Amino acid sequence: MVEDRILVWRFNRGSKDALRRIYEKYKDALMGLAVTMLRDRSIAEDIVHDVFVSFAGTAGTFHLSGTLKGYLLTCAGNRVRDSNRLRSERDVGLNSVDAISPSSDGPVDDAISREESSQLQDLLARLPYEQREVIVLHLHHGMRFWEIAEALDVSINTLQSRYRYGLDKLRSIVSGGVTK
Amino acid sequence: MRPQEDMEKFVRVRKARATTSRQMDKRTLNDSFAAMDQIIQAKQTKYKRSARRVIIRNRIMRPIAAAAVIVVVISLFIVHRGPDEQADTVIVFNSTKSPAELLTVASLNIAFRRGGIEAVERQCEQVIDKLGPPPAMITVKELLAEFNGT
Repeated sequence: MVEDRILVWRFNRGSKDALRRIYEKYKDALMGLAVTMLRDRSIAEDIVHDVFVSFAGTAGTFHLSGTLKGYLLTCAGNRVRDSNRLRSERDVGLNSVDAISPSSDGPVDDAISREESSQLQDLLARLPYEQREVIVLHLHHGMRFWEIAEALDVSINTLQSRYRYGLDKLRSIVSGGVTK
Repeated sequence: MRPQEDMEKFVRVRKARATTSRQMDKRTLNDSFAAMDQIIQAKQTKYKRSARRVIIRNRIMRPIAAAAVIVVVISLFIVHRGPDEQADTVIVFNSTKSPAELLTVASLNIAFRRGGIEAVERQCEQVIDKLGPPPAMITVKELLAEFNGT
């Protein structure tokens, strides 16, 4: 948190090194969010690129009110939503096979991890976007409900309802898939 | 464990590990740096332009700026012309006075005020020059007689 404040302070004074460090620190989180939400690596890369270029354009005037990670994830989330609206149904999942990067745990663990992540993405894709968004931001990126509510400009009760309904639906899909 | 917690755990452990490629990193950083440079340059230009605009368009700032320019011009004029005129005056002043007049308190005060201790020294040297070389031998009686005019 303090490190982020210092980075932002330096960034506002035109430090390219600070911008590079912010990018290195949060690029994977943003990429993970975009890939999970869109299941398309190329669009996810474009979104991460646009978020950072847009962020660089705020140098000198950027004011951090919450956490830097929260801010960047919100920016990425907004762009993902826009992209999701524009995308046609036939494109969904086109690049999903390559979307997830291999882990460094070895080939077997890597294969299992990729399969599990892909399985989750399939399940999440069946949820309404709003429910998927809050589940991913809360469970994968550790954002608190009030942070997400503030970023998305919705009440915390609405957000918690979306989260609960989303998890219920996910559970019913999973148990339905198992029983059938 | 409650069903909701089960699902939370189920989702958490299946977090996608997506990393960016080197090419993408390079492209993103280059574009970000370019955007940053552009915004910083734009701000600098805007600041310069706005300062000029404030002076030209503001009713209060315009006469203040004009007055400042006049003051600067006058100051420069005084700085460049002042010392020469002073020196000329001192020379004229000194050349027209007799040794007795040059050594009065008023005369030395004027010299000091206009040229400092150097001007006083110069004035004293001029007095000595005007008096001419000292005689080889002179008694106190003769000196007093000379001063008393007898």
